[in-house]
Amino acid sequence: MDFSSPSPPMGSGQSPEALMEQVQAQLQQAYAEELIETLRGKCFDKCVTKPGSSLSSGESSCVSRCVDRYIEAMGIISRSLFSQQR
Amino acid sequence: MDPNLANNPQLIQFLSQEKERAMANEVVAKITSSCWDKCVDKPGSKFSSSETSCLSNCALRYMDMTMLIMKRFQQQ
Repeated sequence: MDFSSPSPPMGSGQSPEALMEQVQAQLQQAYAEELIETLRGKCFDKCVTKPGSSLSSGESSCVSRCVDRYIEAMGIISRSLFSQQR
Repeated sequence: MDPNLANNPQLIQFLSQEKERAMANEVVAKITSSCWDKCVDKPGSKFSSSETSCLSNCALRYMDMTMLIMKRFQQQ
């Protein structure tokens, strides 16, 4: 992922459509970066309890399950909060 | 910024929609972080039914608690 490319200045003689697209893209990137940061913290806490000289295969597979379950947990929680029967 | 752009109704609607989405996103992120710590011990290849119901109860109780705290401040 390339986080370094600077974006052009906003709203300089752009059409509203182009501006919306640009805002959307930047939001997506910000959300993704935030999620990655969260996953790093959460999965390190759960999976790498005693850091050794390298990541063991058990730790690696724990991390991959952790990422999947965390995203699933976000879905479960957002459904309980925003589903109709509330 | 182009003043016409700032008054563009399509753009205003888009921004308020994105703002709402960002707020919902933030609530989900916050609650998931707390409830993950409480409900999930070791992440397995599938959630157990008790983990699933813990997560969903946790989210709803978090909201109940939010209401309680707000009420507490309203009655000064």
